[in-house]
Amino acid sequence: MVCLGLVVIFTLLAIYGEIVYQVHDFRDITPAYQKTDLDMQFQPPSSKHWMGTDGLGRDVMSRLIQGVSIAYKVGIITSLIAIPIGVFFGCIAGYFGGKVDDVVVWLYSTFASMPGLLFILAIAMVVGKGLLGIYLGIGLTTWVGICRLIRGEVMKHKEQTYVQAAKALGLSSGRIMFKHILPNISHIIIVTFSLRFPAAVGTEVFLSFLGIGVQDQPSWGLMINNARMRLWQGMWWEMTFVTIALFLLVLAFNLLGDALRDALDPRLND
Amino acid sequence: MIKYILKRILQMIPTVLGVILLTFILFNVVGGDLAAIALGKKVSLQTLENFDEQRGLNKPLFFGTRAKSRAYEDLDLSAGAGRWRNWSNAVYSAEAGTVTLQPNASINPLAFELGAEDEFIWTLSFRGEGTLAGEPLSSTDWKSTKVRFNGGDAGFQTLENTLEIQKLKLRRVNRNPFDSQLTFYIRQLLRGDMGYSEGFKQPVAKLLRDGVLPSLSLTIPIFIIGLVVSISLSLVCAYFRDAFIDRFLVIFSVALMSINYLVFIVAGQYFLAYKNGWFPVWGYESVKYLFLPVLIGVISGLGSNIRFYRTIMLDEMYKDYVRTAFAKGVSKPRVLFVHVLKNAMIPIITNVVIAIPFLYTGSLLLESFFGIPGLGYLSINAILSADIDVVRAIVLIGALLFVVSNLLTDICYAAADPRVKLK
Repeated sequence: MVCLGLVVIFTLLAIYGEIVYQVHDFRDITPAYQKTDLDMQFQPPSSKHWMGTDGLGRDVMSRLIQGVSIAYKVGIITSLIAIPIGVFFGCIAGYFGGKVDDVVVWLYSTFASMPGLLFILAIAMVVGKGLLGIYLGIGLTTWVGICRLIRGEVMKHKEQTYVQAAKALGLSSGRIMFKHILPNISHIIIVTFSLRFPAAVGTEVFLSFLGIGVQDQPSWGLMINNARMRLWQGMWWEMTFVTIALFLLVLAFNLLGDALRDALDPRLND
Repeated sequence: MIKYILKRILQMIPTVLGVILLTFILFNVVGGDLAAIALGKKVSLQTLENFDEQRGLNKPLFFGTRAKSRAYEDLDLSAGAGRWRNWSNAVYSAEAGTVTLQPNASINPLAFELGAEDEFIWTLSFRGEGTLAGEPLSSTDWKSTKVRFNGGDAGFQTLENTLEIQKLKLRRVNRNPFDSQLTFYIRQLLRGDMGYSEGFKQPVAKLLRDGVLPSLSLTIPIFIIGLVVSISLSLVCAYFRDAFIDRFLVIFSVALMSINYLVFIVAGQYFLAYKNGWFPVWGYESVKYLFLPVLIGVISGLGSNIRFYRTIMLDEMYKDYVRTAFAKGVSKPRVLFVHVLKNAMIPIITNVVIAIPFLYTGSLLLESFFGIPGLGYLSINAILSADIDVVRAIVLIGALLFVVSNLLTDICYAAADPRVKLK
């Protein structure tokens, strides 16, 4: 329950952050989280700046909230890339079997062989710095897991009577796959989404930290990178609050994912 | 058994080819233009051409009889004068989108001399009179034509008349259409040549050899200690199933999993090394320098490992042989540590063998934070400086090792469980 509450809070913050960003972008003015104030550098938390200010006098809290919306964008957009690819290939491989299955298995075992993070970094490097590189890097590498799960599940469902009945009615393969089988295995998609969300957020933080990801928006990875050196001079607040926010977000989604998995499909428990 | 192994090796080949193709697509097709970034901004086109020649980048991608050369970029004069601004006896007209060569001009638009052993083709549309690469051109109306020539003089010459040009492009004739970037790459791999790093001015193979030991000195202790600790803790969980300590460890592992890797490193380096001075902060001089990175590596991996092994142990706990053993009156520790652990070995071995390639590629972050000159550090530097040859080699080797360790896992499976062979 607590984790659900946290997820709701974070979601609202992300929507708020996105609205703030869009409004300021549309009206072409500098939003509060980008406003620099050199008289207010490195202020510890106070009633004016609840989480202190950073090296350019920017308010850490508003940047943190903006970071939530970036994290959400990454989590959602990478899912929108990875899940359709995985579901599509998983469905056709499981349903048609034979040659199609061989090709899909070949494709995903090739992708699965690539060394995870390094492959994501390489894609992000090739695509170019910025959010697009992150989306593609994470999206194009993480469809393998869901593809495998869906393929296995579709294979099982293919033998069941409702599919046989649909076939006997002369329905097209596409219709059987996506209208009949897919709704029956949609819980896998939901569980996968909630479990890969925190992983995607973590990867984004990592990429932005390395300077390959987000460039001028306040991403958590960039904030950690900025705060890292300041930490050694005793300016703990930026680091601490970003860390706590990141921890809470990932924890909430991990717990939510586990709970969903237990509730929706006990057999997936491994 | 030998038949099974041979079959599995045959099945491995498509995946290996797939991996090679995927790295090729990623680094040559999508990222081909990036390669030259490693050279820096101010380089002559001749240097670029040599760079391309060395890496086969001046060939067609997959297949083709024509290849581009850096000596002359394709130019459509209606879009701008480009290099043609440099010559005073060539007059550019923006409205018409043409260049008019004045009488008695001799202009060579190439950035450098072409190799004499290759054949080249100019494709152009022109009007007027003159010669190109020794071939006479003459037409009163606009006309498109091709001029074939062998290296050497490739320039324009006019006598008493003017010559107008509209479009101009240069192609090298690729004598063997299969002599492409892809075959170049595969031949290179077959020779065992990993390429040459422009950023480090060294062959990639040497960089990899130098980086392996530091990486392994970091990853092997992390791996072994992590394995021992997490398997022990998972056995504790299984032993005290649903008791307080089990619950605690489960929550603890979820919490550990939720802490970002970066945070472990930054906090560990700050509190343990900088604040309290228990460990050296940065460097790779003696064993002492490895303690902290190893500790951080073990702790950060602990969460997911405990969960993974706990699930395996609990799965085994409900099997019939366990019930039988209990019924026979075997003590709980003996069932757990002798019977269950032995049977749980198969999934454990899978997990262990699969982790081997990652030992090789090292830990990207730990190495760069603690200044350990391993492959992870190398990869990060190479990625930041767009040193494609290095990144490609590391990605490829990581992937190949993964394929090989998959094969080993399957063979281990077959050795442990004869039923596997029949599938």
